[in-house]
Amino acid sequence: MSRVPGKKGPVPGRAGEDDDICPVCKSSRYLNQNMKFLINPECYHKMCESCVDRIFSSGPAPCPVAGCGRTLRKQRFRKQILQDIRIEREVDIRRRVNAVFNRRQEEFETLRDYNNYLEEVEILIFNLINKTDVEETEKKIAAYAADHRSTISRNKALAHEESINITAEAEAQREQARIRRAEDLQEEEDERREREEGKRALVERLANSKGNADAIVQEIERAQVKRSSAKGEKANLERRKENAMATQDPFGVTNGSAGAGFKIAGLKKVVEPEIEKDYDPYGGTALEHEYYVFQDQYEHSWLDKARTNPEITTGGYDVGEYCARAMFEAFAGLGCFIEDELGARNVAVDSGTATAAAAMAAGR
Amino acid sequence: MSEIEKALAELKALMQYRADQLGQVEDFRGLGLTSRKNLCLHPSVKREKSGAVVDARCRSLTAGFVKEKKERGEDVDLCIYHDNLDLLEPHNLVPPGVFTLDGLLKYGEQHKQCPYFSARRMMPFCNVIIYSYHYLLDPKIAERVSKELSKDCIVVFDEAHNIDNVCIESLSIDLNDDILRKATRGADNLERKINEMRESDADKLQSEYAKLVEGLRDAEEARDENAFMANPALPDDLLQEAVPGNIRRAEHFIAFLKRFVEYVKMKIHVLVVSSQTPLRFLQECKESTFIEKKPLRFCAERLTSLVRTLELTNIEDYQSLQEVATFATLAATYDKGFLLILEPYESDTATVPNPILHFACLDAAIAIKPVFDRFSSVIITSGTISPLEMYPKMLGFNTVVQESYSMTLARRSFLPMIVTRGGDQSAISSGFKIRNEPGVVRNYGALLMEFSKITPDGIVVFFPSYLYMESIISMWQGMGILDEIWKFKLILVETPDSQETSLALETYRTACCNGRGAILLCVARGKVSEGIDFDHHYGRTVLCIGVPFQYTESRILKARLEFLRENYRIRENDFLSFDAMRHAAQCLGRVLRGKDDYGIMVLGDRRFLKKRNQLPKWINQAMTVAEENMSTDMAVTNAKKFLRAMAQPFGQKEQDGISTWSIQDLEKHVEKSQTDKIRELQNVQVNGNGDHAMGDGDGLTNGKGTEDNYDDDDDVDAIMRDMEA
Ligand code: SF4
Ligand SMILES: [Zn+2]
Ligand SMILES: [Zn+2]
Repeated sequence: MSRVPGKKGPVPGRAGEDDDICPVCKSSRYLNQNMKFLINPECYHKMCESCVDRIFSSGPAPCPVAGCGRTLRKQRFRKQILQDIRIEREVDIRRRVNAVFNRRQEEFETLRDYNNYLEEVEILIFNLINKTDVEETEKKIAAYAADHRSTISRNKALAHEESINITAEAEAQREQARIRRAEDLQEEEDERREREEGKRALVERLANSKGNADAIVQEIERAQVKRSSAKGEKANLERRKENAMATQDPFGVTNGSAGAGFKIAGLKKVVEPEIEKDYDPYGGTALEHEYYVFQDQYEHSWLDKARTNPEITTGGYDVGEYCARAMFEAFAGLGCFIEDELGARNVAVDSGTATAAAAMAAGR
Repeated sequence: MSEIEKALAELKALMQYRADQLGQVEDFRGLGLTSRKNLCLHPSVKREKSGAVVDARCRSLTAGFVKEKKERGEDVDLCIYHDNLDLLEPHNLVPPGVFTLDGLLKYGEQHKQCPYFSARRMMPFCNVIIYSYHYLLDPKIAERVSKELSKDCIVVFDEAHNIDNVCIESLSIDLNDDILRKATRGADNLERKINEMRESDADKLQSEYAKLVEGLRDAEEARDENAFMANPALPDDLLQEAVPGNIRRAEHFIAFLKRFVEYVKMKIHVLVVSSQTPLRFLQECKESTFIEKKPLRFCAERLTSLVRTLELTNIEDYQSLQEVATFATLAATYDKGFLLILEPYESDTATVPNPILHFACLDAAIAIKPVFDRFSSVIITSGTISPLEMYPKMLGFNTVVQESYSMTLARRSFLPMIVTRGGDQSAISSGFKIRNEPGVVRNYGALLMEFSKITPDGIVVFFPSYLYMESIISMWQGMGILDEIWKFKLILVETPDSQETSLALETYRTACCNGRGAILLCVARGKVSEGIDFDHHYGRTVLCIGVPFQYTESRILKARLEFLRENYRIRENDFLSFDAMRHAAQCLGRVLRGKDDYGIMVLGDRRFLKKRNQLPKWINQAMTVAEENMSTDMAVTNAKKFLRAMAQPFGQKEQDGISTWSIQDLEKHVEKSQTDKIRELQNVQVNGNGDHAMGDGDGLTNGKGTEDNYDDDDDVDAIMRDMEA
């Protein structure tokens, strides 16, 4: 679409002379080649490194720029990343706000809701940037942050994961490309060698045989063509397989929890996934005994003998087991009301009275 | 005369001929379209030098809202040529027939109507439209100009040997400091305008906002629903979506743009050579400036909408901003096939940084894909498109018919030769190792000298690069070779400056015409090699000194080679050699521009011997085995013989029946091909199956005009069958 016209001559990296003069000590880059400028996100006034050292080494001090006077700390000074200081500030604000408002598109019912949310956030950021309603905005942000701590941290983790995934994938792709490259080179080399060998074979055959020279040449050439095309096909096939494998979506989609507070419309209702219960092999039947309490020891003289007599115990006879079974059998059936159960069944199978009656008869 | 003009003139002659032969004038329209700069009639606008300025000024005189203002009685300028169009019937702005560009200008002047808009609006009613590739391949232009073409249009890309480069260039963007600075200024301007508008006409902004909330598609009713061309910068499905909420409001969007520009500025000032995939770039962008991928993708559209809402007329002020926005959109749309390359210094030796961020498209298939998707018949053709297999691979399509034709000539009217050795039998080559050896340079000098002695009138010499040309010329100067040549021919040199070059060309032509004779030294990838014809005495010998390989140290080229290897399995060397040979063929083709023309083609490099098969069929076939490996003196003897033969009188008569056909010849051919077909069918019946394909149209080779006179459907079928088998 556009090519930069072949323009000669240097383009200064940074525009403007005063960019290179420290507003505090007025020393210029012209005198000091490796002068560095620092800023403090408190007021974004720029000054040179030596000024920072000089003024703030002995603890917090007011900003020396005329009319500012905010208290600054040395350790918060940092390098300016973007050329335009206003945008630098904007980005800082965004960093703070975006850390809080980090909803994802999947969390919204419709795209439109998501877009409205984006706009709301943007308005908040603009308030901060333009210093309108700062207090109120800050309050809103703080309130939101307090209300949605878990969502925020979860989305943060997700975003982090995502970026790691992207990096990892890119890395993997590069590695694959490198491997392929090596293979290709090898292949090329093989081919070259083969060709040379073919040539030698041809010369040998020509020297040793009395047949038609042209025919021999053709035959060998044909063989070579066949070999190389077969190889090409194989390689293609492999590549296709690889490609098919490579196309797998690395991201999963997650739901967030909705909340009141900051007015975000259109969040998806989050259904708490039911906690899966442990597997119950008895299908809900209680193992507690309803009508008796099982004792460890039952006093019975004839049982004592069975407890102590090795003739019995060696065979594996367990008195406890026997007692449990005896108790169970004694109470089994109590609390089961066949009439009731049959009645319930009758309601369910309302239509066929005949079958129900038959069943009742059979039950009895 | 431009190629478009030539083709239109040819078309006009053809239609005239048809009218004469058929006895009736067919209802037929043929128009050409070029930039406003060439077609403007407005007395002051047309005097502007730069095309962009003409476009911008024209827009400010013709935009819809300007007209509205006028109707409201405000004092604004309009272009009368444009206004007059509205008085005409919209489907009949110009009468039927073929108009050359010149003819259209004349017609427009007579009727006081704008030729540019006449042509554009008449496009849907034309049988034939001839325009430059860009109107179809460059997404930004194609959307506006070509969207009305119907689906069953037949698209012909002529001179398509370079089509892959056109595709790539149409999607590549270079950004530098200057552009970014201007973009910032543009954004500031926009901000001011928005504030102004908020005070004067807040409704407009509000209504734009409301439309954007509803979705971008509705906002642009101007777009045609059904035949809308997929725009590579913005895929169709994306257009259905609404603009993301955080750039919906104008002021938010401006802040967004500014942030992005600042980010790119920061990026560009890292004084290290680096290359990045778009994905990585976006990720970093997100980390450091909180710019997400999605709003970036909408950048270009959103800007267009804003500019329209603000009713800006001086659009050239925002060109840089538009470029940045386009870059943003492309980078956020494509993961594959693009690469960001940062070059902080102009050359390896430079010490003052002049950083350029190349957003390089590596995949030619991206730009051309919408064309293949949309039109059912696309024909790619050129005189020097060889080897054919390369193009489907690079452009990502399957050929239905793929043919390479030889030339039918009544006599051997060109003499291709490969000179591999100098007079002293040592090999000559422009290979990097030996290119500056005095022996090689002297041999090249001798080659040129010998040919300057025997060739009448003009000689054209092509070098692989300016750099090499300069060094070899200075060495020749030192050896006294130039002084010697000077006795026979005037020596002229092409330079990167186009004005200088056109002056040199003019002098060259004069010298060829008046008998002094001249040599034009030029560069294989320069302007001369692409668009300028050296027909007849303007070029009797063309000499290719060295194989015109590309400059392989270019990072963009390296990236592209890597991409081709990875994705299309085209090896670096194969591509480089293919690219060199298509340029060589292009150079050779410069001298033979017609059937009564003749010329000598000399390829001076040992390496051409192995690459012979990559020459187009018509050149390759004309070269005998003896001619593919010659020394300078053999070549000269051969050429002398050839020139002597060419000097014999050669009238129209000799060509009749061979390279030009009369109606009788044509009838004979039709009859022959029919009997052939009948015999074929009988054979098929006898043999019981039809996998024996027909001889694929020896008769098809006769070029323009003759094909449609007989029914060749079956031939095509046969070819297709042949290919499937
Ligand atoms: S409408 Fe036509 S004549 Fe008028 S300024 Fe535009 S291009 Fe020129
Ligand atoms: Zn200082
Ligand atoms: Zn301060």
